[in-house]
Amino acid sequence: MNSGFSASATRRGFRSAAFAGLKRGSFDKLGVVVALLTFAALLFEPFVTLRANRIVSGKGVNVFDALPHATAFAAVVVIAIVAAAAIARTATWIRAVGAGLALVVLAFLVGETPPHLIGPNQPLARVTPAGAFWLIGFAFALLLTDAIGRLRLGPWARLAILAVAFGIAAAFLVSGQWDGLSVMKEYAVHSDSFWQEAASHVELALASLGGALVVGLPLGVACQASPRLRELTLPVLNIVQTIPSIAMYGLMMAPLAWFAAKVPGAAELGIRGIGTAPALIALFLYSLLPVVGNTVVGLDSVPAQSLEAAQGMGMTRRQRLLGIELPLATPVILTGVRIVLVQNIGLVTIAALIGGGGFGVFVFQGIGQAATDLVLLGAIPTIALAFSAAVILDALVDILKGKT
Amino acid sequence: MTIISKLKTLGVALALTLAAHAVEAADITVSSKIDTEGNLLGNVIAQVLASHGLTVNNRISLGSTPILRKAIIAGEIDIYPEYTGNAAFFFNKADDGLWKDAAKGYAEAKKLDYDANKIVWLDPAPANNTWAIGILGDVATANKLVTLTDFGKWVTGGGKVKLAGSAEFVNSAAALPAFEKTYAFTLKPDQLLVLSGGDTAATIKGAAEQTDGVNAAMVYGTDGGISAAGLVVLDDDKGVQPVYAPTPIIREAALKAHPEIAAWLKPVFATFDLKTLQTLNGRIQVNGESAKEVAASYLKSKGFVK
Repeated sequence: MNSGFSASATRRGFRSAAFAGLKRGSFDKLGVVVALLTFAALLFEPFVTLRANRIVSGKGVNVFDALPHATAFAAVVVIAIVAAAAIARTATWIRAVGAGLALVVLAFLVGETPPHLIGPNQPLARVTPAGAFWLIGFAFALLLTDAIGRLRLGPWARLAILAVAFGIAAAFLVSGQWDGLSVMKEYAVHSDSFWQEAASHVELALASLGGALVVGLPLGVACQASPRLRELTLPVLNIVQTIPSIAMYGLMMAPLAWFAAKVPGAAELGIRGIGTAPALIALFLYSLLPVVGNTVVGLDSVPAQSLEAAQGMGMTRRQRLLGIELPLATPVILTGVRIVLVQNIGLVTIAALIGGGGFGVFVFQGIGQAATDLVLLGAIPTIALAFSAAVILDALVDILKGKT
Repeated sequence: MTIISKLKTLGVALALTLAAHAVEAADITVSSKIDTEGNLLGNVIAQVLASHGLTVNNRISLGSTPILRKAIIAGEIDIYPEYTGNAAFFFNKADDGLWKDAAKGYAEAKKLDYDANKIVWLDPAPANNTWAIGILGDVATANKLVTLTDFGKWVTGGGKVKLAGSAEFVNSAAALPAFEKTYAFTLKPDQLLVLSGGDTAATIKGAAEQTDGVNAAMVYGTDGGISAAGLVVLDDDKGVQPVYAPTPIIREAALKAHPEIAAWLKPVFATFDLKTLQTLNGRIQVNGESAKEVAASYLKSKGFVK
């Protein structure tokens, strides 16, 4: 599939002496993109940004100034080797390992920059990864995901890779390699509330999903059985989905505050106009459409033969549903769960505006202080959570598909 | 079968989560807005109350102003710092001139909120966190600019100024146009850098870095970035802007349970003048220290908390 590109590349003289040993037609399209991106980033983009304090704009520092010369040179050599391996059509597993290695090197390097750039009499100075770091990181992440995709790994292997990635990140965090970076300086200041907010973030995302499953699954089953109910329910849920999240949280406040004040026992249960309750209910409402919709679609997709066979065996309606239909529909339903979870992890961020807690607290405090580092302290864990949830549930869908 | 049992487990988990958020026994719920100064003053209140032995339920950085108002009126929080000038908007009296007078504005806010919501405004801080104009320190020194009257004369006399402001600041009658009218100066479009939707963090940054020749900025009086950016705030000597004095406000019911709170907070808030708040906000915003630690070290250095 790469022959067209390599032929023209060869004609244009891409095939220099350095690649003379390689077979004709042996350039990898993605590898060329990765190499060019890396090369351009190293030459033209700053590796990190150095700022005098937390809120001023900084100046970019390229990779050769940001690191001791020997380190920078060694790093560029490693990155160049991996990029060259990516251009050549090397074995897929070599590409995967190489890309992973390059990412680890990159992560290590960026942690080396603050001690090199910040003197002892500049306690307020901040170092933040900049263009070249992100571009090269993006290029090798692309190479890595492409290679993993081509390896056609099973769900367990994908989970293992996720675990390894987390292990490496944890090692960097625990070892203190990144402690000089601006985001980690924010973490150092907010470490007491960070884990508390992390817990409420996960709790809100999972609890609203739980609620949506309790209500959405039976509703989905009922909708599938009754076309009239389906015509009534799905459009309403569709409309709910279009309400902007800030408006939704705002809408929840007044009725809940009334409910808490008038209904005995409600306030004691934790139901109130601000905080967890309105956030939970808003997220629950957003979660319903994917759960109900995918339950309906999943049940619809159960092959008619299976149902006839079940009927022929004399199974009751209930036995058919629990024993045949729901298990067969589970992968589709889980796809809905995946959508809900990833969506909710993102939406919880907004809940900080109504006192719901979560990583959004850092995002909005950061916006208020014009402190990008604090915004990132909220944004990066949110992205990591959403990404992990997606990988885990994808793997789960595959595992279940494999079994049915 | 398994699916049903899983659902039951989930349902139980959900109920437990809700129950876990039920109110724990605390003497008082302290809250604040989600901005820098809210964080600082909220922590100050919480630490002062805790130092006198109250159990404090911490809801600091709860949300924006409307959220805080709803929460305190509904009794979901007991005490938080609010600005006297904001009462003008809570009670739809923004056109009244009395908000420009610190004492009258405070008295009016106190009366209106007590009559309507049984919320007590305790003693305010002698600071004014209102719209103001900040100018680069060296420009101010070179041209002897201390007040807005000086500024008006300087601009009219051909002083080279370029001011960064939000669209709201430049256009709303109560802001820049009011300054221009009272201090008899006019800024031409090429003397303005309008950042639509920009907040003071952005305008201060613009002046500090002299983006596009900017040397003056819309600021709030107690912004933490002001001194770090090398700006000085020009004195509103003819009192154009409403006074926004930070004031702890508390539900009457909570105050009755612990009436000493008023006396505990009064001397603390009395120390919060413009410069002190600028410095403390700056430690949070510019240095990146945590609001909790800044509050603790300040209270300790002043001897309010041992």
